[in-house]
Amino acid sequence: MAAKRYSSPYLAGVGLGLVLLASFFITGHGLGASGSMMSAVVAVEKVFLPEHVNKNEYLAKYGGGDKNPLKDWYVFELVGVLVGGLISGALAGRVKKETNHGPQITKRRRWVFAVIGGALFGFGARLARGCTSGVALSGGAVLSLGAWITMMSIFAGAYALAFVFRKLWI
Amino acid sequence: MFAPLEITYDFSLEISLLIGFLIGIGFGFFLERGGFGNSRKLALQFYFRDLTVFKVMFTAIVTAMTGMIFFNAFGWLDLDSIYINPTYLWPGIVGGLIMGAGFVIGGY
Repeated sequence: MAAKRYSSPYLAGVGLGLVLLASFFITGHGLGASGSMMSAVVAVEKVFLPEHVNKNEYLAKYGGGDKNPLKDWYVFELVGVLVGGLISGALAGRVKKETNHGPQITKRRRWVFAVIGGALFGFGARLARGCTSGVALSGGAVLSLGAWITMMSIFAGAYALAFVFRKLWI
Repeated sequence: MFAPLEITYDFSLEISLLIGFLIGIGFGFFLERGGFGNSRKLALQFYFRDLTVFKVMFTAIVTAMTGMIFFNAFGWLDLDSIYINPTYLWPGIVGGLIMGAGFVIGGY
């Protein structure tokens, strides 16, 4: 089956907005992504250094004492994201193994940069108390001032460096 | 005001996690529908060649925002119980800039 085209971004946006609205209506909070990675990290840390997790206030919030870091709303939500993405991709015939990059670089180079970029993004997300999902999207919808500042900073940082890294993409 | 439902009806952890899983399915579904599964498509926004991210994100923000205002006006949703991300100016700016760098380097 040939891959179908993506939906209209406005249609996808309304769908995403209704999911976000449902999240606020049912749970009182929005969506997230990077927090679940934090939970996963704390889960591993807890296996090797349980004392450290208990003593560090920030880590304890995720998995101190009897709390299982993986029994967390955002962790379950993120597993759902994988399933939902797979369903959408399968329905549109888009499920395949691929590496997305510009024509001027190799696959290997793209993977190296993916790891570097991912690490930076994860670090930045901890500093800003959330990523594009938890802060820019969810915080944006409740008009949090800090969320909008972080959203603008994300775009500013990316646009400022876009020229330097243009060969990765174009 | 009977919403947020989780607060009014005091859901058990299991129910809450199940809801999280189901909401996640919707989240992932519409992200993929919009093309967020393709990192190059996302990164091309920084070269003004594909503005999907802006269109999807701001449509979603406006949709959710409008819905919340209506639900509150109907007397359903208590906006005081909604989580509003606290503002920490400099961590927000520096973290955002680092995320932006990560976004254009890593593609997501």
